[in-house]
Amino acid sequence: MKDILRRHQVLKDEIVDILNKQIKIEAQSSAAYLAMAAWCDINGYDNSAEFFFKQSDEERAHQLKIFHYLTNMECSAVSPTVGESQHEFSTLRSVFEQALEMEISVSESIHDVVRKCREVGDIATEEFMRWFVQEQIEEEFVARRTLELFDVLGEDKVGLGMVEERVLDVEYEG
Amino acid sequence: MNELKSNEHLIYETDHCQLIQDDHSETFYVQLKGDAIAFKFCQLIALKRKLQAVDIIKLLASDSPDVELIHMPHCDRFFVFTVQEILELKALLEGGFTMLELNSMIHKTLVRPLA
Repeated sequence: MKDILRRHQVLKDEIVDILNKQIKIEAQSSAAYLAMAAWCDINGYDNSAEFFFKQSDEERAHQLKIFHYLTNMECSAVSPTVGESQHEFSTLRSVFEQALEMEISVSESIHDVVRKCREVGDIATEEFMRWFVQEQIEEEFVARRTLELFDVLGEDKVGLGMVEERVLDVEYEG
Repeated sequence: MNELKSNEHLIYETDHCQLIQDDHSETFYVQLKGDAIAFKFCQLIALKRKLQAVDIIKLLASDSPDVELIHMPHCDRFFVFTVQEILELKALLEGGFTMLELNSMIHKTLVRPLA
């Protein structure tokens, strides 16, 4: 009797479920970044808006990377529904604080995926997730460093102007 | 049930349903309600997920009749299942997939090794 299960089901159900959950999280954060970009744009923070538009694109790329992995493995990838995003913020600093919190949350969920891979012995998916673990180190670094600009430069008009000047230059060089 | 051909294998059966694997076409057949419905592997997974998603308690508690409508797009058919049928199909697929996993383990250990 042929082993059709192994030929067509490369990933275990639990891994498919947790990857679909991760797709949804990435989609949600992409949408949230878009809302942040809109707030920044409306309030005249053009560079910050550009920063968040770029972040939104990156999260969307992450979502697709996992989505393609699932379809390549002949597993069901679920196009996610995305809930409401926060569109109102009190200050520019609060937007970046929210961004850092979101990156921490994404990192934690990525680590949960890796832990699940180890639990069920899925070496291939764990290897696939390695890129995301590295990516999150970078994402968190950028979010943290950007937030620190507010402490260093202050939050008066001149300080915010200087934050705007520097926000697109923050890079991880690890 | 008709007699199985040499390329067909009975994977699992319950009182009224059977799951059969056809090695030639790599197709599964679910025998239910006097019908044999063909499923490719991914379609069988989709059916399993649909059945898992059925909330039996909610179904029993609702005012509407205790039936669930399941659409099988690959054969363009709707099925109306009673609670008992849903439970039986769930058992069929759970048992069926356990047997398929067992077969996988046998292949991994005894059939596939190169050395």
